[in-house]
Amino acid sequence: MALFELNPITKKRWNRFKRIKRGYYSLMVLLVAVVLSLFSNYLANNRPIVMKYQGELFFPTFKFYDKESLGQDDIYGLTDTEADYRSLKKEWEGTDNWLVLPPIPYNPLENDFTYDTPPPNPPDHQHLLGTDSQGRDVAARLIYGFRISIFFSLLLVLLGETLGVVIGSLQGFLGGWFDILVQRFIEVWASLPFLYIVVIMGTIFVPSFKLLLIVMLAFQWLGMTYYMRTEMYREKTREYSLAAQSFGSSKWRIMFKHLLPNCLTPLVTTAPFAIVGGITALTGLDYLGYGLPAPTPSWGELFDQALKSENRDKIWLVMSPFAAVVSTLLLVTLIGESVREAFDPKQYARYE
Amino acid sequence: MRRFLPILATVLLLAAPAAISAEDLSNIKWETNETDEPFGDPAARKGGTFNTFTTAYPLTVRLMGPNSNDSFAGYNRAFTMDFTLVIRHPNTDNFIPWMATHWSVQDDKKTVYYKLDPDARWSDGKPVTADDYVCTWETMKNEWIVDPFYNQYARDFFSSVEKIDDYTLKVIGTKTSWRPLADYTLWPTPKHVTNIFDGWAKDEKINLTPQVVPGPYIISEMATGERVVFSRVSNWWGDKKHYMQGLFNPEKIVIKVIADEDRAFDYFKKGDLSFYTVNTAKKWANEMDFDAIKKGWVHRRREFVDAPQGMYGFAMNLEFPLFQNKDFRKGLQYLFNFKELNEKQMASAYYRQNSAFEGTEYMNPNVKAYPFDPKLGRDHLAKAGFSKRGPDGILVDEKGRRASFTLTYGSKGLEPHMTIVQQLYKRFGVDMQLSLREPAAAFELGLERKYEMTIISRTSGFYPEPRQYFHSEFKKTTNNNAIFGFENKEVDELIEVFRWDQDRDKRVQAMHRIDEIINDEAFYMPLWFGPYIRFVYWDHVQFPKNYFPKRTQQYTDWWVFWIDQDREKALNEAMAAGKSLGEDPVVDVDPYGVKERLEAAAMTGEAAPATSDGSKSD
Repeated sequence: MALFELNPITKKRWNRFKRIKRGYYSLMVLLVAVVLSLFSNYLANNRPIVMKYQGELFFPTFKFYDKESLGQDDIYGLTDTEADYRSLKKEWEGTDNWLVLPPIPYNPLENDFTYDTPPPNPPDHQHLLGTDSQGRDVAARLIYGFRISIFFSLLLVLLGETLGVVIGSLQGFLGGWFDILVQRFIEVWASLPFLYIVVIMGTIFVPSFKLLLIVMLAFQWLGMTYYMRTEMYREKTREYSLAAQSFGSSKWRIMFKHLLPNCLTPLVTTAPFAIVGGITALTGLDYLGYGLPAPTPSWGELFDQALKSENRDKIWLVMSPFAAVVSTLLLVTLIGESVREAFDPKQYARYE
Repeated sequence: MRRFLPILATVLLLAAPAAISAEDLSNIKWETNETDEPFGDPAARKGGTFNTFTTAYPLTVRLMGPNSNDSFAGYNRAFTMDFTLVIRHPNTDNFIPWMATHWSVQDDKKTVYYKLDPDARWSDGKPVTADDYVCTWETMKNEWIVDPFYNQYARDFFSSVEKIDDYTLKVIGTKTSWRPLADYTLWPTPKHVTNIFDGWAKDEKINLTPQVVPGPYIISEMATGERVVFSRVSNWWGDKKHYMQGLFNPEKIVIKVIADEDRAFDYFKKGDLSFYTVNTAKKWANEMDFDAIKKGWVHRRREFVDAPQGMYGFAMNLEFPLFQNKDFRKGLQYLFNFKELNEKQMASAYYRQNSAFEGTEYMNPNVKAYPFDPKLGRDHLAKAGFSKRGPDGILVDEKGRRASFTLTYGSKGLEPHMTIVQQLYKRFGVDMQLSLREPAAAFELGLERKYEMTIISRTSGFYPEPRQYFHSEFKKTTNNNAIFGFENKEVDELIEVFRWDQDRDKRVQAMHRIDEIINDEAFYMPLWFGPYIRFVYWDHVQFPKNYFPKRTQQYTDWWVFWIDQDREKALNEAMAAGKSLGEDPVVDVDPYGVKERLEAAAMTGEAAPATSDGSKSD
């Protein structure tokens, strides 16, 4: 059952949202960014998108091709190392072979030590945003880092809010002892300092994407239960709810088909800010060193490098993730703001 | 008359045991050493305040027991435990009188007599006597100090510590040793104020009450979480002594608590700290161009010293299946590119360690770490069965096993280096997964042998300790330093030669052979070392001509510097006026020829010899 049935009220809200240009355009920009980030491997990679060698077409983005298979030499004589596509591009100029490298021809993990000065190196025509303290391309790390943080956050919010909605609705609908017991549990659980617990978990286990997600999920669902509970209590007393009961509809049907669609305002209006919270939390954890493990690209890790005292004068290291974080959060906040306005029952402010 | 006889007999009988039991020391040949030069500058000026820092406020000022081995311990021990009966002269390596004036090692090589210095005084004025050394031994053995390390140390080293008279001490060690003065020496514990009781280790008052000390400084102020201040004992007895000349010069030592090393550097630049050790290559290379240096108010020195480096390198767990193949291990060694790492991440500041006993006189000068040679590395991996790459680019053997292992380590500062090594290994087909843990957790995993590859980092004393790292008897148990799980009969026998043989040449031969074997077995991949102390200091801090002595590992080892209060006034005036004193061009100082030797070795591509003059000191 879809959460958003295109009933007239929803259509009206959507139109109101579309009318607020800054929110609508932010949503478009963000959607494009998220979809593009799915294709990060085609945007920033040392492997070409498509390549023609000896008359055959190859798509090496997810495949390993060694130097020998492409007729390339290796300085150590080890031709089974991965092909150096950037050099190949130059070598193949003027021949029948060609390859198309991604716009950023570096992957986020490789170390560029070809400069005379040690890394970090400032932006130039090769690395548009410079390199970090291990010679890795900053732009590539931003792109992959965006993918990881936005998907982490989306997953966190999706799963967390769903869990919160279900539990909160049950609380409100069933009421009585169930509500009292669950509410007490939620109050105790909510009093735990969640960031500290995540950090402690991080010291016991090496954090991975999955583990971090699970630990943060354990706290994410709490927020939504408060709203859902009160919304359910209110809707339960409405007449249409009593009417559905008198038909003999089952409890589940009443709850999910009739009542829930009317309770979703808090969910929709807080979701964008929950996403903002997720991105910030992950970036913060990565900055402290308790988030995703090295060498995962992440904005928090870039901040950590940028703020080290020896990197203070290397401003590209701090400006890049800063600009990225600010713009992403700005986009999401604008969307959230517009959503809230769209859902506001009062179209115009009335002064009496 | 007859009635007097029994009384006389009784008196004589009572007196006789006393006369018989007093040891006859008339045949003892006492030795001393007054001929070495003092290592401090006798012209050093006394007085002034020296400002420094520590990263954590001490949880206790006790010398033994829980929490006594923290970062503050260096200061705490400097004026207490470091005052042993004899010490090794840090330039000549000879033993010199310190708390004792004379010593005598007996032929059994485990009994040592010491004549105590009658001038030695505790900071409360009471004389230091033999009772105080016996007190140390009894304290070490005492279970109530809750310190198994000292309990074991006492058990392993000392059979007995006896008072012959107030200023004569007899120490009997547990076994014959070829270095009895190093093994069987002690520091004093003030018997007249020491009282160990059940719960001593937890008593809050004991925790934070400064003790009476034999050294020149006593804790005069403790501001919880903020600072600890040492003040000089007035008319300290040691000022008249030959070897203590020019040492312990400031009037006050103020130790501020600053949790972050980088913040501490900011304090130094502000003038709140007199002295600061620069411990990262990046900081030394990039941040030494601040205003105070340009105006000559601050000086910077990189002093090359000659001290044992301990073990610092990758350790492969020989119980892990992939590492049970020697060719696989050798392959990994040849694939490690130290030069690139040094140049690109560490500002070319370091030198490669070659030996497991680097910096000691027992290291084998012909043993060299494996050079970076990818072809050779891949050849060895092929011999181990890994010659073909799988679809993801990682080598696989015939059974389908991937050349993959996990590096478990605990130092966040090494994370950039390890990710670079990871990329390098990936290029050549080896998958090294990184597992950065909390330092204590990583350390324990190492001791428990619950790792595949880890980083071992241990300091070394003057003599290397091959037994605890390489003897097979430790393989049966865990929670020890033999983290490699190494077992080799020849090495076991050679270790015994090193431990007991009185002939120095035989010992050196044995250790050289052990070094060779360890290098050949390739389970220990040494990383790097910096045989120098890098420090910055304000103009009023002065040093002897050679700065710190030869055998210095950290600056709290030898208190040779002093504060020149006239210069301090001049400096303050210059700073107030913004006047430059002229930038100091001197940076590297090499009073012991260490840099020379290392660079010469780098030129010829050979490992550097251990000491510049091959001096023999046991």
